[in-house]
Parts: sequence; C-alpha cells; structure tokens
Amino acid sequence: MSVGRTNSIIVVGGGASGVVLAAHLLKSPHPDLRVTLIEKRPHFGQGIAYSTLLSAHVLNVSAAGMSAYADDPGNFWRWLQARGLVSQEQTPQTPFYAPRSVYARYLKELLDELEVREKGTGRLRLIREESLSISPTSSGVEVTLANGTSVVAHLAVLATGHDEQPGAGQGHAIRMGTEADTALDPEARVLVLGTGLSMVDAFLSLEQRGHKGEIVAVSRRGLLPSPHRKGNPIKLDVADIPFGTQLSYFVGWFRDLIRENQKAGIDWRDVVDGLRPFNQKIWQNWPSSAKRRFVEHTKAWWDIHRHRLAPEVHARVTEAVRTGRIRPVAGRVVGIEAGDGFSIDIQSRHTQALETLQVARIYDCTGIARDISTTSNSVVRSLVDRGLARPDPLRLGLDVSAKCEIIAGDGSVSAKILAVGPLTRGTFFEIDAIPDIRVQCARLSKQLLG
Amino acid sequence: MLTKKGKYGLKALVHLAQLPAGQLAFVGDIASGNNIPKKFLDAILGELRNAGFVQSRKGKEGGYRLARPADEIKVGHVVRVLDGPLAPIPCASRTQYQRCEDCNEATCQVRHLMLEVRQAIAEVLDQRTLAEMRDIVLDDLTVARGIDGLPLTQKVLA
Repeated sequence: MSVGRTNSIIVVGGGASGVVLAAHLLKSPHPDLRVTLIEKRPHFGQGIAYSTLLSAHVLNVSAAGMSAYADDPGNFWRWLQARGLVSQEQTPQTPFYAPRSVYARYLKELLDELEVREKGTGRLRLIREESLSISPTSSGVEVTLANGTSVVAHLAVLATGHDEQPGAGQGHAIRMGTEADTALDPEARVLVLGTGLSMVDAFLSLEQRGHKGEIVAVSRRGLLPSPHRKGNPIKLDVADIPFGTQLSYFVGWFRDLIRENQKAGIDWRDVVDGLRPFNQKIWQNWPSSAKRRFVEHTKAWWDIHRHRLAPEVHARVTEAVRTGRIRPVAGRVVGIEAGDGFSIDIQSRHTQALETLQVARIYDCTGIARDISTTSNSVVRSLVDRGLARPDPLRLGLDVSAKCEIIAGDGSVSAKILAVGPLTRGTFFEIDAIPDIRVQCARLSKQLLG
Repeated sequence: MLTKKGKYGLKALVHLAQLPAGQLAFVGDIASGNNIPKKFLDAILGELRNAGFVQSRKGKEGGYRLARPADEIKVGHVVRVLDGPLAPIPCASRTQYQRCEDCNEATCQVRHLMLEVRQAIAEVLDQRTLAEMRDIVLDDLTVARGIDGLPLTQKVLA
C-alpha cells in the first residue's frame, strides 16, 4: 500500500503506543499524509501505564530501552540529559529507571514537538474524545465519537492498550487509583489478586498513602518478580534457536543454555535478555499446543524472570515481605462474601488447606492478560460484537495477521482496520513494553506508507 | 552442516508426510524404504518425538506418524533438533561455537563468509515446510540433472 491511496490514518488511542505509532507514521515525508490521533483522557501519551504521578512508580525498563523510536535508541536518553534528569557522567549503559510520570512527559513533549512541526502541514490532528466504534465504509473507515460526530479515513489502527476495568469474574475487585478506590482504614488488611509487577505498583501506592495494614497477595504460584542487574545480553542467532518444537523441548534447551552460561560466569538475566529479539519468532513458530501449555504452565515462571523490577523497588518489596507487610500466597480465592468488607476463602496451592481472611478491599492486579471478548473498551467490544474482529485462539487479545490486520469472525483479514500494542498479544506475544511496541510501530509505518 | 542424522531424519519425515493423515508407519518399513540403518532410525525418531514433530504408538499396531500437518513443520526446525544450531562450519556458530585450531578467526575471511552462509541456510530451511520438500522432489532432480549436465537415467546408474 503506498501513500496516495492510503494517506489518511486514524489512530484510536493516544496512550503510549498511539503516540509512538503517530511519531513513526509522521516520519514519512509525504505531504498528503493525514494522521488523526484520538484519546479520551485529557492527556496524550499517558494511557494507563504512564498516568501515575507517584515517583516510586518507575519504569520497569532501563532508560536506554525506552526511546520512542526504533531506529534511534538514544532518543529518550538525550531528552533526559537535555533536561538535567540524568547527569552528564551517566552513560546510557548505566541502569536508570525513570519515574513513569517523567516518561509521560517525554511522550507529551514529543507529541507537542510534532504538533508544532506539523502545524502548517495539517498532517497531524489530535482529538480529545472517546471513540465508540469503527465501521468499514466503501472508501475506508468511519470512527464514531462519544460527542456524536465521526471521523473518516482510509484506515484505522487500534492502539487502545490495556483494559481499564477488572476482568469479568473478578467479582468485587477494583483497580488501584480508579474512582472506586476510596479512602481506606490505614490499618485494614487488603487483598491483592496477583503477585507480579502490578501488585508491586499497588504496594507502592498503598505505602505512599500511609497504609499500614497487611497486604495479602494471591496468585496461582505466588511468585514475585526478580530484580534487574546490570549486564550484557548474550548474543544469539536464529541459527541457534530450536523453533517450532514442543514446549518441553524448548524449555529443556533454554535451561541448558542458562546452565552453560552460568558455568561461564554469565548471569541468567543476560541469557533471558539475549533471547528477547527472538521471542516473537519463537512464539509464532510454536504449535498451538505449545502456546497453550506455555500460557498455562510456564508463563508465570517466564514472567518473573523476564519482566523484572528496578533493584531499589525489589529491595523494598523484599523488605516488605520479610517484615510481613506483604504476604504472598500461592493459591486461589475460592470464596468471597461481601459484608462489612469482605470475607475471603483462599485455598493453598500446596496444602489445599482453606484459610479465611477479613479484608477491607480487593485490588485486581492480575495483570494484563484477559479474555478480550469481555473487554470494557467500547471500540473493541463493538468490533467483536459485530463479527468484525474476534479473539485470538488463546483469547489473549484480538486475532490479527502478522501484518497487524484484524481478522474478522469469519476469518477474513481486514485491510482497513489494524491494531498495535497489547491488543495483538495473541500474534506477537511480547508486545506490552515500549522496546517491542516501537519496533512493531516502525514496521507497520513502513508497511502502510513505504 | 547436514549430518547423516539430519538427512535420515528428514527422509523419515518425508516418508511419513507421504502417508494419509494419521496413518502410522513401522520403523522397519521407513528404514528399509529409505536405506537407513534401523537402530539409528530408532534413535532419530525418538528425538523427533521429544521435540514434538512425530508421535508414536507402541505395540503390534504401533509405529510413527507426524504430530502435526506436514505444511506446519519447517525443515529448518527439524534440522536444528537433529543437528543442533545451523552452521556450515563449527566456528560460525554462537552457541555451539568451536574455535578452529589452525586459524586466527579475527582475520579469517573464510569464517566471515560462512557467517553469511549461516544466514542463508536459515533463510532457506526456515521457509520450506516438510510438505513443500515432499512435493518438490521432481524439481530437485531436474535441477540436479541440469547441474551435472547428465540425463537422469545416467545419473541414477552412476
């Protein structure tokens, strides 16, 4: 597809992935390009991930990995330096985990600059409004907005990111920082569903609010994330990696690889990170049975090694576990009774024993994977309801082609509606973090605009 | 380098890919039909089973069949399982790297070119499926004959 036939693109969702996509699209020199970015929140570039103002909520990726541009990895670092947020002595190799609010500012300024640059060209238009639905038309697409108007273009790209509401079946659980998250008795015990990075965010928020009560964090395995450590990812090549095998074979190979490297004094993190450039290819080549098994049995282990915490944050979590502030539990919630607070029954994974707890609140930190057909996002919901989109086979996100085109209920591939970011998890697997999203956006821009 | 193990494994898989879906083949039949030592083939099929490319059933009615359709199995994926990392020469591999005793790799042009060859091997083998390999047999013979400049019959006799 070349510019000329496809020169107007609506990006639905102006969070991090939407801004990163718009920035990549606008690298095209074509004067007739029209990019419309639609965001319902008052600020662009924040989304859910970067809207936190808490300084303890730092990025989980070191600054060098957070540039918005795939072909300019130093972009964020230079921005930090220009604003004196890192010292001149620090190098991009120095691990630095910036507060997420700083990252939101980076994306905002990046978009501001684009707006100024494109002012006379009319190539960028920002709309602050909620999108309700996307419909294909004979010449392109029409996006209906909550204010009753609509916008038309040749194609639309969904960049709506993570869901804002807890998944169905989470019962009384609420999300941290939403309206339902009202003031709490500081001594009250709370339950957190999940023990991963989102649980850690919740813990940091509770600390900030002066909360003192016990935080019981429950997940199937009760595993807490590992800390980052400065290192150098090992170099691997496609020629080395056993693609397309059954899961157990791959895991065996990977364990051996870690063991061999550890014998040579190399940290496991460098092996895990060395695999990163190939993770999507590994995922895409697995038979569906291997994918399913991975999600069910291996993902929890993979996640705590792959998605790590800044060392300072990890130290705080470790201390909180040691002193009993956080109690991680491997098990599942088998009963919730609402009354004055909640009475919770938790069944231990290991002993099967039942424990009943009184908690004042239940926070949903189960993370990002959930069944897309239960999404609270109206655009995605309406596409699925009308059969214009469908969940991927594992229900991790929307079914999309390797070229990011959404696949309809009848299996047909849409040339007009595409998706980037976490929505495409079923096809791209690791597509939640900037280092992966920026590569996807660069590739998509090239695909659409040449 | 494709070893005998890799070659035999691919031949066995082509044999299985030629059967109607789901039909089992005896190891003895695969071995004799493709001129593969049976004991060696047992070991090869065992490894292919561990990697999830074939399934086996024990007993009198037992045997091997493909674990998934032949058009879902990439030739390069099978070769990695049987022969390890793809590499035309041991010094051109990252994980199975072996230094050549007799040369300085920093200045070795041969190794440099072989790194390129490694990429080419991966590109070809990872694009071709087992089904494609099964179905292009005649083309291959035509190509081989063309290269040798010999009529097919003569080549076979030789």
